[in-house]
Amino acid sequence: MAFLEIIGLSKAFKDHKVIDNASIAIDKGEFLVVFGPSGCGKTVFLRLIAGMMPPDSGDVAIDGQSMADINPEDRDIGMAFQNYALYPHMTAFNNIASPLRSRHVAETQVVERVNETARMLRIDHVLGHLPKELSQGQKQRTALARSLVGRPSVVLLDDPLRNVDAKIRYEMRFELPRVLRRYESTVIYVTQDYKEAMALGDRVAVLVDGGFRQAAPPRQIYDSPNSTRIARLFGDPPINLLPVRPTPGHAGIEMNVAGGTVPLPADRANLAGRECTFGIRGENIGVSLEPNGGIPMTLDAITPVNNRLVMLLGGNDGAELFASCPQGGPLDHLRGRHNAWVTLDLTHAHFFDSGNGARI
Amino acid sequence: MTSLLFDNVSKVYSGAGERAVDNLTMHIKDGEIVALLGSSGCGKTTSLRMVAGLESITGGEIRIGDRLVNALRPSERNVAMAFETYALYPPLRVRENIAFGLLRDRAPTAEIEKQVKHIASMLEITDLLERYPPSISGGAQQRVSLARALIRNAAVHQLDEPMSQLEPQLRALLRARIKDYLIAQKMTTVVVTHDQTEAIALADRIAVMEKGVLQQFATPHDLQDRPANLFVASFIGEPPMNLFPAMVQGREIAVLSDRQEVAFQMPVAVSGATGKLGDGKRIVVGVRPHRIRLAPGEHTEGTNLVGEVTSNHWLGDQCQVGFQVRGCHVIAVGGRDVHAPVGSQLPLAISSEAVRIFDAESGVAIDQGSEPAASLVA
Repeated sequence: MAFLEIIGLSKAFKDHKVIDNASIAIDKGEFLVVFGPSGCGKTVFLRLIAGMMPPDSGDVAIDGQSMADINPEDRDIGMAFQNYALYPHMTAFNNIASPLRSRHVAETQVVERVNETARMLRIDHVLGHLPKELSQGQKQRTALARSLVGRPSVVLLDDPLRNVDAKIRYEMRFELPRVLRRYESTVIYVTQDYKEAMALGDRVAVLVDGGFRQAAPPRQIYDSPNSTRIARLFGDPPINLLPVRPTPGHAGIEMNVAGGTVPLPADRANLAGRECTFGIRGENIGVSLEPNGGIPMTLDAITPVNNRLVMLLGGNDGAELFASCPQGGPLDHLRGRHNAWVTLDLTHAHFFDSGNGARI
Repeated sequence: MTSLLFDNVSKVYSGAGERAVDNLTMHIKDGEIVALLGSSGCGKTTSLRMVAGLESITGGEIRIGDRLVNALRPSERNVAMAFETYALYPPLRVRENIAFGLLRDRAPTAEIEKQVKHIASMLEITDLLERYPPSISGGAQQRVSLARALIRNAAVHQLDEPMSQLEPQLRALLRARIKDYLIAQKMTTVVVTHDQTEAIALADRIAVMEKGVLQQFATPHDLQDRPANLFVASFIGEPPMNLFPAMVQGREIAVLSDRQEVAFQMPVAVSGATGKLGDGKRIVVGVRPHRIRLAPGEHTEGTNLVGEVTSNHWLGDQCQVGFQVRGCHVIAVGGRDVHAPVGSQLPLAISSEAVRIFDAESGVAIDQGSEPAASLVA
């Protein structure tokens, strides 16, 4: 049985169902990332688990025990917030110590545990400082230390790296999993940054319209998203989605994309005659500035993103496509519009139902 | 559609001793897209407001083309602005908000109509043209504000955090469309942003500012590849540059671990600055994660190391791998199919031409010349 179970949880504010019959099971020691667009109910979800807010219906069970009648402070849950929420009048040490002291842990043990946690998060040299004397990164680490110091069996982290700069964000992205693994914590981590979700999660649970629409390891979500909605949430540039209707042609099944005709792989013959949405990611599209038999398009703009070149292509039928490739090639210093010839690697093609958007 | 010159420009707010902008000198070329990038309070928005005439200039000169604009009123400067706070006219429809500048310039009605249609379609607000600003979302208002600025035929276009409220998918599309438009219209453009992704995506050159001081003004490529100092090196790049404390020991650079022990060595010649690096000098070695080669062949040029994989973040089109190399934490970026399971030992190579050297005390980059460093290795 799973260690942490969320069973049919619902919460509405007035008529708006923020969390709507959400269920998910999390194993002991698992790092689960809850990812969704802003306003999808991620923070409410965490608060329901922590007991800071009662659900309208449903339950949370930890290690087989229902939390319905358990007070927040007795749930054995640690939590850290996006805005740190440190006590401004307390030193870093006392902030970190606060969950232990509220449980009347012996002072010698408090000192030992705070120091150990602070060492691991590399803030042992600033324990005497007040929050206002701490850097942004140190505040974040202090808040994390406070959530971990009681060695809770479940740790809830609400977008903790949202407000820190790139350098600290990357440091923490690489360091956090190591620290949490050492504490054998079961973690639910909320973010609206898909890269953070993929980087950190053993599994990523996608929260859309109050429910989990897919929960799977990052590779599976990226390579086999189960709907157009989810496909669009992962990847920068976003996945290209175009309406197509494959038909039998000279060389098997063909479809029309951006004004050109491309043959489908043989195993897609079942799509003939079906209206569907064709999905292809930018990295599976090749762009050449010389005619190479590809679809003639215009290369309208190049916007480098994440050390790759992202190219916006325009088709003669008005379609727009994003392609991307690593930097360091002939396109690096190109500016303005150019003619381009475009090839699609259809071994990585996705097809979705044009009605409900579900993966075919 | 003209050049924009900041000549030794400073701004001191009355009452404050500190300079919000400190001796900013920067020549923005005709038709160039420049991003002012920095965290809040770095002086980027103040610089923008001084160009528009919304803020007085304490010292120095701002020229738009040949015209000194210090004493000109905002309306005389011919600068189009998209404000971070949108500043739309609530009683006017979206259509009228967008056309406002053209109406004031008495453009022909048919021409206005055509341009509004084009720009609204580009920014995906065609459906909103008959609505009033208070009834549309923040992200939509932001696009209306952008449209109102971009439709104008001004000398300089200034966009303050123009896409901060857009959801990521739309942002990626509009970034590209706007860049296409700005280049096609040859618009001289200043974009203010705190988001390096946006700056790198849009700009021909980026001015990195910190505490009112210009740190570096360069192309996105040069900012990432040749940061002028440690501030820029750690601010720019996703992930940012690896920075290792190090020391010159004879003909070697000793890279130090967290515990200040020698983690590994590289030939001092990689720096191409042999003469300037005296024995015992404290330096910082910088290597971009993208320039570290994972699992290279044997005897690859450069410094060959073996690291233990401590994390592997798979992002779909790339992976970011964390290594422990004898007490040094190294981040490298590889393709999506790099096989680097956590706990495994993996060889990596730092090619000589990827190594950057900074003075540990001042943080300033030590010039490495333009010669390919590979030829300098003894």
